[in-house]
Amino acid sequence: MASFAAACRVSARLATRKLQQDGVVRGFRTSAAALAAHNFTMPALSPTMTEGNIASWKVKEGEKFMAGDVLLEIETDKATMDVEAQDDGIMFKILQGDDSKGVQIGTRIAVVAEVGDDLSALEIPAEQGTQSTTAAEAPRAQSAAAPEPESAPSSRSGPPTTSDGTVHKQSYPLLPSVSHLLKEHDVSEAAIGSITPTGPNGRLLKGDVLAYLGMIDANIPSQVSSRFEKASHLDLSNIKVAKAPEPKKAAKAAPAPPPAPVKTLVTVPVSLSAVIEAQRKIQTSLGVFLPLSTFIARASEMANDELPLPKGCQPTADELFNQVLGLDKLAGPKVSRGAYIPQIAAVTRPSARAPAAKSSDIFDLLAAPSKSKKAQAAKPTLLPGASTGPNVFSLQVPKAEERRASVFLERVKLVLETEPGRLVL
Amino acid sequence: MLSQRILGRSAVKSAFKPSGLPSVVSAGRLRRTYATESEPRDLVIIGGGVAGYVAAIKAGQEGMKVTCIEKRGTLGGTCLNVGCIPSKSLLNNSHLYHQILHDTKHRGIEVSDVKLNLKQLMKAKETSVTGLTKGVEFLFKKNGVEYIKGAGTFQDEHTIKVQLNDGGETSVTGKNILIATGSEVTPFPGLQIDEQTVISSTGAIALEKVPKKLLVIGGGIIGLEMASVWSRLGSEVTVVEFLDQIGGPGMDTEVAKNIQKILKKQGIIFKTGTKVLDGEKSDGAVKINVDSAKGGKPETLGADIVLVAIGRRPYTGGLGLENVGIELDERGRVIIDSEYRTKIPHIRCVGDVTFGPMLAHKAEEEAVAVVEYIKKGYGHVNYGCIPSVMYTSPEVAWVGQSEQELKKAGIKYRVGTFPFSANSRAKTNLDTDGQVKMLADAETDRLLGIHIIGVNAGEMIAEGTLALEYGASSEDIARTCHAHPTLAEAFKEAAMATHGKAIHF
Repeated sequence: MASFAAACRVSARLATRKLQQDGVVRGFRTSAAALAAHNFTMPALSPTMTEGNIASWKVKEGEKFMAGDVLLEIETDKATMDVEAQDDGIMFKILQGDDSKGVQIGTRIAVVAEVGDDLSALEIPAEQGTQSTTAAEAPRAQSAAAPEPESAPSSRSGPPTTSDGTVHKQSYPLLPSVSHLLKEHDVSEAAIGSITPTGPNGRLLKGDVLAYLGMIDANIPSQVSSRFEKASHLDLSNIKVAKAPEPKKAAKAAPAPPPAPVKTLVTVPVSLSAVIEAQRKIQTSLGVFLPLSTFIARASEMANDELPLPKGCQPTADELFNQVLGLDKLAGPKVSRGAYIPQIAAVTRPSARAPAAKSSDIFDLLAAPSKSKKAQAAKPTLLPGASTGPNVFSLQVPKAEERRASVFLERVKLVLETEPGRLVL
Repeated sequence: MLSQRILGRSAVKSAFKPSGLPSVVSAGRLRRTYATESEPRDLVIIGGGVAGYVAAIKAGQEGMKVTCIEKRGTLGGTCLNVGCIPSKSLLNNSHLYHQILHDTKHRGIEVSDVKLNLKQLMKAKETSVTGLTKGVEFLFKKNGVEYIKGAGTFQDEHTIKVQLNDGGETSVTGKNILIATGSEVTPFPGLQIDEQTVISSTGAIALEKVPKKLLVIGGGIIGLEMASVWSRLGSEVTVVEFLDQIGGPGMDTEVAKNIQKILKKQGIIFKTGTKVLDGEKSDGAVKINVDSAKGGKPETLGADIVLVAIGRRPYTGGLGLENVGIELDERGRVIIDSEYRTKIPHIRCVGDVTFGPMLAHKAEEEAVAVVEYIKKGYGHVNYGCIPSVMYTSPEVAWVGQSEQELKKAGIKYRVGTFPFSANSRAKTNLDTDGQVKMLADAETDRLLGIHIIGVNAGEMIAEGTLALEYGASSEDIARTCHAHPTLAEAFKEAAMATHGKAIHF
């Protein structure tokens, strides 16, 4: 019950607020905005409520009230509820006193004035529409029943359907034809607002005035402007989606991917003898053992620097920026850092693969003087598949990178075969 | 250890030198990256034509981070590079030449030894074009628009891969993407455009010599403008048009008839209601077989050069729309909704590549509207109020509906016309061809359409467009003061004639 009462209170609040707003709107319409005594009508306290009884008024005529004060108590068949004031005001006149029975919602039950109004100077405004039966209709009915423009010219032949009682604020200056017609037919300034404008952005057009004056059919201006409205948009109806090319393209695209990554194998024979020599020297002089992989890794790192670009390569953002600045011309040949890791395998001699690896290669010869213990220590550092003799360094790369890869391998070879010692010193 | 490695490295580098390996360049060492790689742009526009560049500038002005991708190498698209702008240069200068040759004598100016320097004529055209395209580039800089020269392809819904013109590739990601790829010349089936003997409008603005005989397939605006240029420069020009009227279907029938008469007087031969069957090229000449549109009157026309000007079609080649599933309609237009969204809401599309008339100023309006939609949630283009201009001499311009459209829709209207032969300024200029024609609603007098043939019709139509935009009646124009003596007075008098009577006619 409590929650129902709360709901009712909320709706009562809403209803009264709406009524208040209507009062304000009316105030704009009349020229005397300050004397804004307005009607207080029977509020709808629930969506189904059509009538109610006024149990008692909590404010007397002439009494001030504050927003939130209880104004009156209303009884319906379901409950008794308080109606609160939404704004500060003065109770000007109570028209339906205590214990009024079966008061239709929307019926005027009192007249309220604003704080500071001089009650003696106030007139009671005219009673407005009372026929509405639901809460939703109540305020609308009120505005619909707003007074007709009194100054409607006598010359008009048909009923001015353009005048639906709403006020249309006009944008000035009026079009020359419009102001001419209005002056010609003595349409008062006040009446202009009741002409329905059909022009862009609510502009009053010649046709609107002609319709208002009854010189043309009243519906024509809106028909014309609805045509303009339609023409102002792109006609996006009846779009026929193209269908044929889709599957074709898909079919074409499908076989395309396979041939994409054509890879080639770039190989260069490299002798690791110099590396092993260096390794030995380092070990004897510094007592530090450096595995072969270290040499190769460092050689690779050096060789990866500034490799020629692959064919049809995509420039990096750096290069693009340099292009914008015109630095690409100064920079000479286009290069970029690679990320290659060579694959290493012993040279395959079909006839004597096993013996070659086993017996007389340089590594063994070099390792021999320093006893087998050291040689054995060195052995596991060989990369898998690497031989101490001429090895094949290879790279599996896309076709476009062939040159880039071979430059890389040549450099690795150069470093490892000439001065491997400098890689680590 | 680190210093050791660095030492080692430089040592090795020096070791490379004798073997002729590339010298050390450290410029690439600094890590510079495009902002695009790290953060997505607010708007990525594919196409730097009128739609694209206007949207880019507008977006820049709205404070968005915007990138415009254009593959032509210069901005401005078809309009600035091979369309509106270069053709206007040729039209203006060829008109001057023609006037000196045939017209100034009556005015009391005798010029002897008039020579055409076609090379210089073309150079003047290029100067105008370069100036304007560079101007757009400047506006990009001014408004902070990133400009990428390359061809964009959709990689996914937010990423555009760009094949750069200078070689290489980059990619841009955008929160919003705008397709503004424009249109291309519609080829004539069975007649390969080689831009030598069979040319498109692109070739027609760059001919190296004046052809003896020029045959124009298509009597629309582009065809008639090019026909005018070369006719003035001395070609014998024949225009073959499938429809019964020239100027395209949008032109008012009465206006089309009038301008046809005027152009015929200038020496252009018209074959309307005629279809082109096929053609064959044979050493520097082309033979075109035509027939009446209804059939039964086959004929062969010979020409040095054939201009194919049957229209333009949306251009989406290489855009990779299939990668993101954007659909085209049966005429190849990108399908959009009323807010220019494709079915992927953050990918929008404006200009020639989508619906509506293929006009630069329409594209421009849409470009502004689409940026406003993105930025502010609302934009607007009044499609009922887009003017069309044909820059022949006299010019033809119109806005709103034509008489045949109103008749077809069963709308009651009033017509008011005023000929320039009754206008004082036109009289003094000795340019009295043409008239202003106004169409207004019979009941409300609201203007429905304005159609002008006249020397500066293209400029005068602006007043009509403004009137239409504001829902003016013909009386509103008639009650507005127009300076005397001007051609614009004819506009006012036509308005007077629409709802009442003209004073001077």
